[in-house]
Amino acid sequence: MDARRCQVRVGGTLLELLPERALHWPEAGVLAVADLHWGKTESFQQHGIPLPGGVLEDDLARLSAALSATGARRLLLLGDLIHSRQGLTPALVRRLAAWRESHASVELVLVRGNHDRHVKTLPPEWRLEVLESHADEGPFRFAHHPEPAPGRYVWAGHLHPMVRLSGGADRLRLPCFHVGRDVGVLPAFSAFTGGLNVSRRPGERVFAIAEPAVVEV
Amino acid sequence: MPAGRSRTLKAQLAARRKALRSGNEGGGAPAMPGPPAKKKRRTVRRRRAAEGTGASTPPMTGTPMERLRGWFASKGWTPYAFQEEAWAAYARGDSGLIHVPTGAGKTYAAYIGPLADVAERGQKGLQVLYVTPLRAVSRDVEKALLEPLRMLDADIDVESRTGDTSSSVRQRQRERLPEVLITTPESLSVLLSNERAAELFASLRSVIVDEWHELLGSKRGTQMELALARLRRFAPEVRTWALSATLANLDEAARHVVGTGRVPTLVSADLERPVEVDTLLPDSVDSFPWSGHLGFTMLARVAAWLDPEQSTLVFTNTRSQAERWFEGLRFARPEWEHLIALHHGSIDREERERVEAGLKDGGLRIVVCTSSLDLGVDFGPVERVVQVGSPKGIGRTMQRAGRSAHRPGATCHILFVPTHALELVEMAAARDAILRREVEPRMPPGKPLDVLAQHLVTCAMGGGFTREALRDEVRTAAAYAGLTDEEFEWTLALVREGGPTLRAYPEFRRVVEHEGRFVIADARIGRLHRLNIGTITSNAVVQLRYWSGGKLGTIEEAYISRLRPGDTFIFAGKRLEFSRFKDMTAYVKPAKTKATQTPRWNGSRLPLSSSLANAVRRTLDSARHGDVTTDELAAAWPVLEAQERLSRIPSASSLLAETCETRDGHHLFLYPFEGRLVHEGLAALLALRLTRLQKATFSLSVNDYGLELLTPAPFPFEEALRPALFTRERLVEDVLESVNVSELAKRQFRDIARVAGLVLPGLPGARKSTRQVQASSSLLYDVFLKYDPDNLLLVQARREVLEQQFEQGRLGRTLERLEQSPVELVHVRRPTPLGFPLVVERISASVSNESLLERVERLKERWTREDARSA
Repeated sequence: MDARRCQVRVGGTLLELLPERALHWPEAGVLAVADLHWGKTESFQQHGIPLPGGVLEDDLARLSAALSATGARRLLLLGDLIHSRQGLTPALVRRLAAWRESHASVELVLVRGNHDRHVKTLPPEWRLEVLESHADEGPFRFAHHPEPAPGRYVWAGHLHPMVRLSGGADRLRLPCFHVGRDVGVLPAFSAFTGGLNVSRRPGERVFAIAEPAVVEV
Repeated sequence: MPAGRSRTLKAQLAARRKALRSGNEGGGAPAMPGPPAKKKRRTVRRRRAAEGTGASTPPMTGTPMERLRGWFASKGWTPYAFQEEAWAAYARGDSGLIHVPTGAGKTYAAYIGPLADVAERGQKGLQVLYVTPLRAVSRDVEKALLEPLRMLDADIDVESRTGDTSSSVRQRQRERLPEVLITTPESLSVLLSNERAAELFASLRSVIVDEWHELLGSKRGTQMELALARLRRFAPEVRTWALSATLANLDEAARHVVGTGRVPTLVSADLERPVEVDTLLPDSVDSFPWSGHLGFTMLARVAAWLDPEQSTLVFTNTRSQAERWFEGLRFARPEWEHLIALHHGSIDREERERVEAGLKDGGLRIVVCTSSLDLGVDFGPVERVVQVGSPKGIGRTMQRAGRSAHRPGATCHILFVPTHALELVEMAAARDAILRREVEPRMPPGKPLDVLAQHLVTCAMGGGFTREALRDEVRTAAAYAGLTDEEFEWTLALVREGGPTLRAYPEFRRVVEHEGRFVIADARIGRLHRLNIGTITSNAVVQLRYWSGGKLGTIEEAYISRLRPGDTFIFAGKRLEFSRFKDMTAYVKPAKTKATQTPRWNGSRLPLSSSLANAVRRTLDSARHGDVTTDELAAAWPVLEAQERLSRIPSASSLLAETCETRDGHHLFLYPFEGRLVHEGLAALLALRLTRLQKATFSLSVNDYGLELLTPAPFPFEEALRPALFTRERLVEDVLESVNVSELAKRQFRDIARVAGLVLPGLPGARKSTRQVQASSSLLYDVFLKYDPDNLLLVQARREVLEQQFEQGRLGRTLERLEQSPVELVHVRRPTPLGFPLVVERISASVSNESLLERVERLKERWTREDARSA
């Protein structure tokens, strides 16, 4: 196994937490990511806010890297794929369609998040299977909102969890995986996202994205 | 009774003081009658007529100027020489600066000339623009400007236009402006964004900018300069006059108000009143804290000193401190319940106005306040002024002292209340500096491009502009006299294309070019821009309201977000329980239990001014040499003596350095006494240079006295402390590099992002549609740094850090001093009285050349749950 990743065992199933901000379920060939916020830069630009592009290309490169490194056959997108309707420009749709083609054999499944609800139909050329609230697979439920589900362990996004580390006066704030007893929250995939500080209660684990590795803290 | 010693300053021209009249209005005038003016302008004139009071009316004959002199005489006033001088200068067509102390009659010095001019010409339309930095005082100004009108048989309207103006009045003003308009720099910019701006301002004869010393040193002043340049284009004959209190750089202040095309006229009068300074000394300095800023140990003494018979302003340095002191004084003297009040910038406007009115009519006797009462509003009856905590600056202290005994020739009096032992030294130093009249200069910022970017969008809305004409116009503002073609083009590109490469900003639109003319891209973007006009940056604030209805004021979102329902806190002197947060409003109800906390406002804390810092070094040096003749130093002696015993009292000719090990790690303390801003830059610079000697992560801590570098692993500080560490060689490169690896530029960028329109204001009631485009400025900074590192706004953030940390060369001069000063290195076993406050007040900046992974590995053991609270 890649030393940059962290392994967790949830109810007997082995999962990997990737520094690419993705969750890997090797046994099922599934990769899950949350909160991609495609078109966020474009939304800002349309409001007259001059923001350079580039985030998307980096995000896509990271997603491609995670896909090829794991050889996953199914990619679960756990909500907030699209930032806003205005941001979904023709150029962006074309760019993402081209990216989709470069991973033509991977199945893409979107579990809609709150941001996605503003977009009724997603571009058909992206070839997404769209689920309204969740996907139940094996012992897991994959959803956008981190709400517990009886009998299943939930993997979700939405919160953009961040962890604050401090010692003396040295402080860091990093995106993280927050793995609770019943619910695990993925870091926001997009680099252009803020976040919410998380606390660690008993029985919970926190894994920080400290590029180039994932580190349990 | 104050135990301190009184010292009286002698004004140089005491004789000229005898007839000093107070301010700009007769006392006791009733508040303006209410109904806001409707469509008909007649209403306004009726308001004006209502101003006529019982004073005997001299005959209405002669020229307007003769009649206005008659009005002066009817008030029992004889014009001062400086007033005559100002009127004559205006009549000659001059522009310039009028420099006299508050309350000496500078308003009429500036206003009577223009008013006579307007009456003489008898034309309609806007002719006099009166700009005040405080919208709260616009009503008082309005009253003062209305008064002389009753002597003129002329159809002249006087109105205000500020952020508080009702929408119906705004609507009317969009069509036609009054002859005399009172406004703020921000509201003026909003008016300039009117499509018919050129027409509205074409008849303008004069602009009067009040409290110019307050605006000059900030971007508000820069924005004002750009507005003045615009007005000069619309009305080439316009005369621009500024009113200012004492400054070290009056000539520069004058140049910046008239622009590059004219020679300013300086009208001065030395009418400064003597200032008497006392310090309330602690009973025993042993029980007095080494650091902290509340000063509650002095509460009982202050409560005993205060006397409701003598109306008093109690100034504090922060809003939080004002809340606590108000609470404390009410607790100490419950019988004063109806005589004491609180005033600060976050309290609801109506409540503030109630307090101001209470001060004027004498109903309120003691008001705890912040800089919110530094300016404007003439408080005739205030007798005494108290300053809790460090006075921070000499000009500011003199201004606050000037609030007291506002009577002809009376001596100003200010009582200092120290909050910790070392402030006693500052207070001794401040008195010395006041004696020497070492008032600070206010340095105008150099051509800030964020302000220019905002101005370009404003001009694009206000009828559009052509490239060459606007560039030439902008250069007539002294702040932009040195603007290069490249800088102008960059800024234009920023608002037009977003950045230098079209490809990176494909969807960006704000200003578009249409046949050589630059105009706003569309109405929606224009509306967003209008909301964003201004350069006053503050943290996102939310409304604070009772569940049952009723506004309390505003509070920082960051503070509210840390509260949970049921938490209690003190605001506006009330104990409140937080209920819920909804639609940018925090709802509270009266708390049943004792409130546990006070909100914190992350407003910028003022650093020690250069004049005061210099005076502190001088004072400490004499203490080191045994001169403890002032009461303050005598009182502080046990602490200074402890400093001398554990280490040394810093001298003026060497640099004191202390090293120390604690469980936090390895500390280096340095005490240059140059003020917090300079220390911030210096700490980042030194940390960078030290990491070059050995791989390390330094946490930085600064205060007004010195700086601390803390590192977890042992570091050879002694070897490193050589003159080469302080060299000015490669200074700019090193500062830029250290700024890049520290948080300084990121923090600076926060304000720039707001002014340049990257961050939309989280105004209460802002439309929800903007929620999709909210991002924190630090996130934006990271995106820019990574994807457009050459963006000029980043360049500007770095330059501002440089300029502000340098404080116009202060860092360079500091290094020059330190390079030549021998280092006095002392190894101490625990932090000394000087070092202790640095340990307590650590800021969260760090400079590191370790990898992220190395830092995480080191930090993860110490991850504290408290830090991760919230969620």
